[in-house]
Amino acid sequence: MTLLRRSASLIGMVAIIVFFSVMKPATFPTLGNWLNISQQVSMLLVVSVAMTVVMAMGDFDLSVGAMASLAGVVAAVMFKAGFGMVPALGTALVVGVAAGVANGMLVSLAGILPFIATLATMTVLSGAAFIVSDGRTISGADIPAAFGDFARSGIAIGQDGTRVLRIPSLTIVALAVTAALWLVMEQTSYGRRLYAIGGNAEAARLAGVRVVALRLSAFVFTGAGAAIAGLMYASRVASANPIQGDGLMLTAIAAVFLGQSLTESGQPRVLATLAGVVVLGALDNGLTQMRVDSYVRQVLVGLIILLAVGASALARRRGRAG
Amino acid sequence: MTLALEDVSRNYGPVQALRGVSLMLRPGEVHALMGENGAGKSTLIRLLAGLEQPNRGWVMIDGQPVVLARPEAAQAHGLRFIHQEMHVVPTLSVAENMHLHRPFPRRAGLINWRELRRRARVALDALGLDHIDPAVPMLRLGLGDRMLCRIATTLIGKDRARYIIMDEPTAALTGAESERLFAVIRDLRAQGVGVLYVSHRIAEVMALADRVTVLRDGARISSHVRGDTDQARLIHEMTGRDLSDLYPPRPAPPDTPPVLRIEGLRAGPLHDISLAVAPGEVLGLAGLAGAGRGELLRALVGAIPRKGNVTLAGTPLPPADPAAAWAAGVAYIPRERRVEGLMMLRPIVENVALPHLDRLARARLFLDRAAERRLLAQRGAEVRLKAGGPQALPVTLSGGNQQKVLFARAVGGAPRLLLLDEPTRGVDVGARHDLYRVIRALAAQGVAVILASSDLQEVIGLADRIVVLQGGRIAHLVRNEGLAEGDLLTMCYDRPAA
Repeated sequence: MTLLRRSASLIGMVAIIVFFSVMKPATFPTLGNWLNISQQVSMLLVVSVAMTVVMAMGDFDLSVGAMASLAGVVAAVMFKAGFGMVPALGTALVVGVAAGVANGMLVSLAGILPFIATLATMTVLSGAAFIVSDGRTISGADIPAAFGDFARSGIAIGQDGTRVLRIPSLTIVALAVTAALWLVMEQTSYGRRLYAIGGNAEAARLAGVRVVALRLSAFVFTGAGAAIAGLMYASRVASANPIQGDGLMLTAIAAVFLGQSLTESGQPRVLATLAGVVVLGALDNGLTQMRVDSYVRQVLVGLIILLAVGASALARRRGRAG
Repeated sequence: MTLALEDVSRNYGPVQALRGVSLMLRPGEVHALMGENGAGKSTLIRLLAGLEQPNRGWVMIDGQPVVLARPEAAQAHGLRFIHQEMHVVPTLSVAENMHLHRPFPRRAGLINWRELRRRARVALDALGLDHIDPAVPMLRLGLGDRMLCRIATTLIGKDRARYIIMDEPTAALTGAESERLFAVIRDLRAQGVGVLYVSHRIAEVMALADRVTVLRDGARISSHVRGDTDQARLIHEMTGRDLSDLYPPRPAPPDTPPVLRIEGLRAGPLHDISLAVAPGEVLGLAGLAGAGRGELLRALVGAIPRKGNVTLAGTPLPPADPAAAWAAGVAYIPRERRVEGLMMLRPIVENVALPHLDRLARARLFLDRAAERRLLAQRGAEVRLKAGGPQALPVTLSGGNQQKVLFARAVGGAPRLLLLDEPTRGVDVGARHDLYRVIRALAAQGVAVILASSDLQEVIGLADRIVVLQGGRIAHLVRNEGLAEGDLLTMCYDRPAA
């Protein structure tokens, strides 16, 4: 049953990609397009794999979108004030880590439900982003050219007609973050303990897992991941405004859920999340190429998430009953 | 006026779960159904509950064959089921919970709360449960009282229960809660209800049942009437093995200086506990529910805060830090294995390795999965764990094998002190035998063991010395020499002479 559920989700995901490849054979299944998709989803990937860390413990972090926005405007405001790359980006990352620590303290020390705690910090961070940026988009001459150039750079790997094919720098950053978190979650005792907490927090505590400290620390990953994603976003559009990262949060949770439907016993895994992100990216890209209206696109994406997650939940329930 | 199974068989594919089983339950009778895990008890219950159909044979009610196609059909024939896990709505009151499946009394279209509580009161009183207040939220009741409420619920109204099938009802209850349940069962019998009592606890079956049927491998092995059998025979019939000696022999208690010293410990209900346990010694903890048996173990492992001095091998054990306790050589098996012990949906190899990751991992950080599997293979074999490979999930295992996973975890780090809270609850006789041997083998290797159990026979069968707790204090501390169960029970109740 597990195998069937997993392969059903997998077949569905492959079917989506095959569908677009058949409908748009000239533009969808090309290396150039996939490199493009990889850049489009790079921010989402960073936030999603970071989200996987807390979701492995059975927690959530709703503040990631607001955090990404805040990181972008913090860096931009510091650029505007004349600071260089290192202090500006460093400060943004420190803010992300600090917000992560705050979330972790609220959830693990104060014992507030993650949903409520991070909903509150989301609101706080979002408000802070407006205060810092004075509610405006910061762009143009204030942003150093090197910052915006980073997102347009990449490693050249070939030629497609007149166009140079590059692995975008943002893609490389996202894959590096993914690889690092895969290592942390799948190959270290730290990650194993987080999964143990997700499996049964009380049992983990009684078996000598320091649940409070670990839970706190895990939220640092989402804080830092969101800040990195916010900076990537700002680099890509060479500007920052106080809402530009907000949409990442729901999509990231959706990507983790989509990935979960692929895994054994339905638990969040880093590589499964990567698959979820790829599918969401391909879906968005393919529907855009087919000129599906963006509102309709949103409805379709929502329905497909429901289908995948719902089917896996149903299959699991049936598997358990039988 | 009987409920019967006639020559019932049920198979799942090639697996024959029941083979031509016949059984009769009369009103006003307690009929015990015994057998190890996999003997077919659960299948039999599912047939009666209308969750499954027999492939052959009939369920007969009042001499007529009936088809229990759905749970509602069983319900309509007056069959009710009590499981070890109670499904209640914790935030609703006792009275509301007792009316979840029937209409609430109304007055002028609104719920008549007073009448609701009165009906609940009447149902509770009918079973002598005057200590339960129908107005309090269910969450304030212990597991035992929740079960008693559920039983009382079956007697409300016109469609009252004619037959109650109880599936391992005492598996999660304390000794005192079980005693109360037995009183209620005797009450039910007196009121003409037929009780099918499914259990593998021999002592309680012998005390309670008018009739005993033993299943093994899906077949009926024997039926006895009260007083016509004994413990050794039942064990033999259930297991097919001669377990005349369920408890392994106890060598002479070691004469070594203590490894664990407890001085003036206070925690939760516990006061002024001072004890010393020697390496190789099994210390039994007895006492009524609420006496503080489990709390003492929880305080020692640091699961609840404590005051006082505790040293293990001369080193103080930090309070309120289970991680430090495990690192210092304490191993703990909690009472509720599914709630406090296992990660039910993580592979057993991860469950076993969890407290030992620092030692197993390379550079204390990078997982060494081969070492984890070796640990499981080695320790699993020692406790005779039967599971489908290291990736098997605990949720798929029997109670006995789940408990063996916890034992494999506990011994995985060569502990100095092993804390066991109700280690054989809900575990069948064969697996219990395995676990007892493991406990004794560990003691022989010099591990100090503290065993808390509501099963007095188990305490007497295993312990070198026995501490009897009363109201959080040590009431008796005796050598386990020539003690009978009755002696120990008396010690649980009496007031010690000064």
